[in-house]
Amino acid sequence: MKIGPEEIKVVPRGPEPGGAGGAYRAFGETLRGLRTTMARMFEKPVTIQYPEEKTPVYPRFRGRHKLHKFEDTGLEKCVGCSLCAAACPAQCIRVVAAENDPEDRVSAGERYAAVYEINLSRCIFCGYCELACPFDAITMGHDYEMADYNRSDLIFTKEMLLADPIERAPLRREGE
Amino acid sequence: MPAEKLNRIILTVDGREIEADEGTMLVDAARLGDVEIPVFCYEPKLGDPVGACRMCLVEIEGIPKLQTACSTPVRDGMVVHTQTAQVKEAQEAVVEFLLVNHPLDCPVCDKGGECPLQDISMGWGPDRNRMVDQKRHFEKPVPLSPLVAIDRERCILCYRCVRFSQEVSEDSQLQLLERGDSTYVGTFDDRPYIAPFQGNITELCPVGALTSYTYRFQARPWDIEQGGSVCTLCPSQCNVSFTVRDEQVKRVLARDNPEVDDGWLCDKGRYGFQAMYSADRVLNPVRFEDGQPVPAGWGEAVELAADGLLRAGSKTAVLVGEASNEEGYLLQRMIRRALGSSDIDSRRGPGFGAADALALADPAISARVVDIDHADLVLVVGTDPIHSAPSFDLRIRKAVRRHGTALAVATDRPTALDGGASEVERFDPGTASAWLSSIADEVAAGSGDGIAGLVNRSGHTVIVWGERIGRGDDGPAALAALARLAEAAGIAAEQESGLIGIPETANGRGLREVGCLPDAGPGFTPLDPGRDTDAIRAGLESGEIESIVLFGIDPIRDLPDTEGWRRALEAADHVVCFSMEANASTEFADVLFPLESHAEKDATVTHPEGRLQRVRPSAARPGDIRPGWMVLAELSALLGHETGIGSAPDALAAVADAVPFYEGLDDAVIGGRGVRWQDRPAATRLGDPTPDPLTPDSGNEETVTSTPPNPSTGEPGGPLSSTQPAGFDSEEGPTVGRDGSGSAPGGVVPPEDVEPEPSSTTTGALTLGTYRDLWADATTDLSPALRFLSPAQRLEISSADARRLELKTGDEVSVSSGSHFVNARVAIRTALPEGTCFLIEGTISDNANLFSNGRPAAVEIGPPRIELDLVTAGGATPDSGEAGDTSEGGE
Repeated sequence: MKIGPEEIKVVPRGPEPGGAGGAYRAFGETLRGLRTTMARMFEKPVTIQYPEEKTPVYPRFRGRHKLHKFEDTGLEKCVGCSLCAAACPAQCIRVVAAENDPEDRVSAGERYAAVYEINLSRCIFCGYCELACPFDAITMGHDYEMADYNRSDLIFTKEMLLADPIERAPLRREGE
Repeated sequence: MPAEKLNRIILTVDGREIEADEGTMLVDAARLGDVEIPVFCYEPKLGDPVGACRMCLVEIEGIPKLQTACSTPVRDGMVVHTQTAQVKEAQEAVVEFLLVNHPLDCPVCDKGGECPLQDISMGWGPDRNRMVDQKRHFEKPVPLSPLVAIDRERCILCYRCVRFSQEVSEDSQLQLLERGDSTYVGTFDDRPYIAPFQGNITELCPVGALTSYTYRFQARPWDIEQGGSVCTLCPSQCNVSFTVRDEQVKRVLARDNPEVDDGWLCDKGRYGFQAMYSADRVLNPVRFEDGQPVPAGWGEAVELAADGLLRAGSKTAVLVGEASNEEGYLLQRMIRRALGSSDIDSRRGPGFGAADALALADPAISARVVDIDHADLVLVVGTDPIHSAPSFDLRIRKAVRRHGTALAVATDRPTALDGGASEVERFDPGTASAWLSSIADEVAAGSGDGIAGLVNRSGHTVIVWGERIGRGDDGPAALAALARLAEAAGIAAEQESGLIGIPETANGRGLREVGCLPDAGPGFTPLDPGRDTDAIRAGLESGEIESIVLFGIDPIRDLPDTEGWRRALEAADHVVCFSMEANASTEFADVLFPLESHAEKDATVTHPEGRLQRVRPSAARPGDIRPGWMVLAELSALLGHETGIGSAPDALAAVADAVPFYEGLDDAVIGGRGVRWQDRPAATRLGDPTPDPLTPDSGNEETVTSTPPNPSTGEPGGPLSSTQPAGFDSEEGPTVGRDGSGSAPGGVVPPEDVEPEPSSTTTGALTLGTYRDLWADATTDLSPALRFLSPAQRLEISSADARRLELKTGDEVSVSSGSHFVNARVAIRTALPEGTCFLIEGTISDNANLFSNGRPAAVEIGPPRIELDLVTAGGATPDSGEAGDTSEGGE
C-alpha cells in the first residue's frame, strides 16, 4: 500500500536542549517536588514514638472485643445464644452455654455462656459478632495491641473478655 | 384392614398441575409440586389432622371461605391458590396471633435456629409486631417430668404433644387445661409425666416449649452435626440420628424410616446415649494384676488374651450378647477355626436351636413390620413389646387405633397392650407350648371362639412372638406348636401374614444367622453341637472349660442362675471380657477390652424382620477404643487363624460371603434404610451351607486334636463327653431335624439344675415367672437422666393371692425358692391370674436371675430377709421397712 502525502503527520519538535528551556526540562519537576519538601521542613515531625506513644483510634474502630455486664446488677449481658458464633465468618468464636442456677445467677436469662472463647489469631475484626448480638453483650473495643508469643495465648476466654481492658489505645478527639 | 388402592388425580396449585393420590391432604399434595404451605399442628405421624393452628389456610376455587390445607383431601380438578392477598392476610393474622403471647426469647430458647415458628414468622408473618400489652406469664421452665421441661409461655397450643400422648402412646397423661388464653399443657394435678415414649414430644414441639433436660443449652443448630445410625439398645433397632457436638453425642433424634419405627423413639434410645460418657465406661484395654485393674496397651492386652486362650485351646467357650453381625461372625470364626471349639452361644438360655431358627426364617412365614399396620389380626404371644421392643408397642397400637386391626394377646404376664386387645388369654409361666398347641389345634379344627376364632376369621394375621418362649424345657415344644399354629392359620399362603419373633438381645437374629449358635455355623449350617449357655456354665464349674470370652454380655446380671455364673467365672482359668462398662462379670476378667457404642461402631445388625441395617459411626470413640472387628481379627491372627480382614467393609464382605442368604450385601445395598434379606434374590439360598470351612485351620495341630466331643468321631472329646447329658448323642445326629423338637441341646441342663427345689408345702407357694424390664440394664443405670427409672425389685402378685397372704402394694417381702431368696416390694396386679407371680430379671440388686435357669419356679413369700450370705448379688435390705409398715398400721 502506498502512503500518500495526506497521510503523513508532522510532529512538532520540542525546543533544542540548552538555554532556559533545557534547564526547565531538566530540573523543573524536581524543584516543584523540593518545594513541598522545603515547606514541610518547618512543620513538627509526624512520627509517633510507638510504643511509648499510641495512634489514637476513631470511635467506631474495631479492635479487641469486650463482653459487658449490666452496671446495676453485675450480671453478664451474654446469654450464650451463639448467634455471634453463627455470624462469625472466620469461625473464631466458640460458645458453650449452660443453665443458670436461680440462686447464683451469671446472666439475666435462663442460660449463660459457660465457655466463651474468641480465637483472636483468626479473628478478622469484621464486627459481625457485635451486629448479631441481640443483647449488646459483645462490642468491638479499641485495643489493637494483641501480639503475643504463643498462639494459644491469643484464645481469649470469657474472663479475659469481661475484664476491663487496660485502655492502651487513646481515642481520637473530635475533629482530630 | 388392607391398605386401599388410591386413584391418581390431577389438581392445580398456584398454576402448577400436580399429580397426586386421591385423598392425600392438600399440604402433602402441594409439596409434590414444590409449593410449600406452612403448618404447625399438621403431623401425619400423629394420625388424622386436627386443623388446630389455622396456619395452612388456602383459597380453593368454588369455596368462598379459606380452607385448612392440612385437613382438606385433594379432589380431581381442584384449583388452589396459596399466594393471593386473602391468603396472605390470613397467614399474617395467624402468625401475629401466635406471637401475641409468644415471648420471643429466641436467643435464650433452645429451639432457636431449628424452630418452625421462627421460620414461618420469617417466611409468612408480618414484619412488624403491634403487640404493646403485657404478654401472658407462666412460671418457667418447670419440669413436666424428670426428662422434659415445659415452658408454657412459648407454647402455641398446637396440640401435638397432647395428641401424641392420647393417640400414639395412649398414656393420656398430657391434657390441655383451663380455657381461652389461660390454656396450658399439663398433667392432672401437676403429676410428673411418666411414660416410656415421652421424649418424642420434645421432637414434636414446633416451638421451644418442650425441651429435654439432657439437651438444654447444650448446642445450637449451627454448632452441631447429625449422624444417622441405628439404635441397638433393643431389638426394635429404631433408626436414629445423633446430634454431635465436639465429637460427643448430645442428643438422639428419630430418623424417618417408616418401615422400621414410624419415626418414634423410646426414652431408652433417646436418653441412653448418656451411658456412652459415664465414668464407668471402659476406655482402654485393662489387664488385672492380683485383681487390680491396670491399664494396658492394645498389643499387650491382645497378646495376654491370646496366651490364655491358646493355653486353654479347645477348652474355650464364647458367650455373645450385644454384638454386631460382623463381631458375631468373627467370634464364631475365631473359636471354630483357631481354637477348634464349638462352644459358642448368643442366647440367654438354651432352646431355639438352629433347626427351629432355620424353619422360622422361611420368608414365606416372615412378616414385615409394616404388615402390622394393615393386618386384620395381630396376635402377640409371650412378649410384652413395651419391655422387649418398645416401638412394636406403638406400631401395634397404631394398627388397632387407625386401621381397625384386631389385637389378641396371649402372655404369661399382663401386658401394656391388654387394654386395646379384643381377646386376652393368660398361660402359666413356662407353659407357652401347651397354650400354643391347644390354639393350633383349635385353629386347625376351625373353632369359633376366643383367639382361635379370631385367627380363623381374620385374613391377614401377623403373629408377634417373644423368642423367650423358646427358652428352657418348654421351648422346643412351644416352637413346634408355634409352627403348627402358623401352618393352621395358613400364614405361608398370605403375602401380608407372617411371624415376627422378638429376640432377647438387640441383634439376636443377626447373631444367630452369622453362626453364633453351638449347633450351627453361618447361615444355619448344621454342625456337631457344642455347648449351649447353660452347658458352658456347667463346663466352667467342672473345669472342662478353662477359658471363656464374654462379648457384650454380663452373665452375672443377664443370665439365669447368678450364683452358678459367679462360681463358673471364679473357676475359669482365663476370662476375656469385651464390655462397654465395668460390671459384675468384668471383676473376674483377666483381660478386659472396651467396646464401641452404637454411635461409634461401623457395622451391620439384623432387625427381627430380617432387615439388615447399618450402624454408622457418628461420634468419636472416647479414650483408646478400637473397632470390634479390628480387635477380633488381631486376636484371631495371634491364635493362628489369619482372617485377612482389614476394614469394616472387609468384615461385612466376609459375613456376606459366609451367610448364603446374605450373598452380595454391601454398604451400598444396605443403604440408609436397610434391606430385608428376604426381599433379595439371595433369599432362595436359605438353608444352603456356608462356603466357609468351619473346621480348624490346618497346621494348628494341638487344637485340632482336641475338637469338641463328637459322637461319631469319638475319642478326642473323651473327657468332655461325661458332661453330655444322657440321650444327647442318640438324639442329635450331625444333622439336626427341622421339626423343632430336634434342637434339644437347648433343652438339656446339668443335673443339678433340673428342677427348682420343691417348695416346702406351705400355703405361700406360687409359680414364679420372670421378665426383663425395659429399664433393667446397664444403659439405664449409667445414664444420669434415666437412672430414676432403674427398677427396684418388685413382686407382681394377683389380688386374690395378695388377699390370701395379707399383702398390700408396697409391702416388703422376700421371695424364696429353696435356699435362694430375693427381697421385693409387692405390687398387686389385678390382671394376673391367681397362683402366679412375677419378678424382674436384671435389676441391680435382688436380681430374679438368682433363681436358677429363669424357668418358672415355685416360690414362697415371707417377710423380708437380711442378706447373711455374701455370695448372692442381693442388695442390703432396709430392715426398717416392716417397722414402718406396722407403725403406719398402728396409727
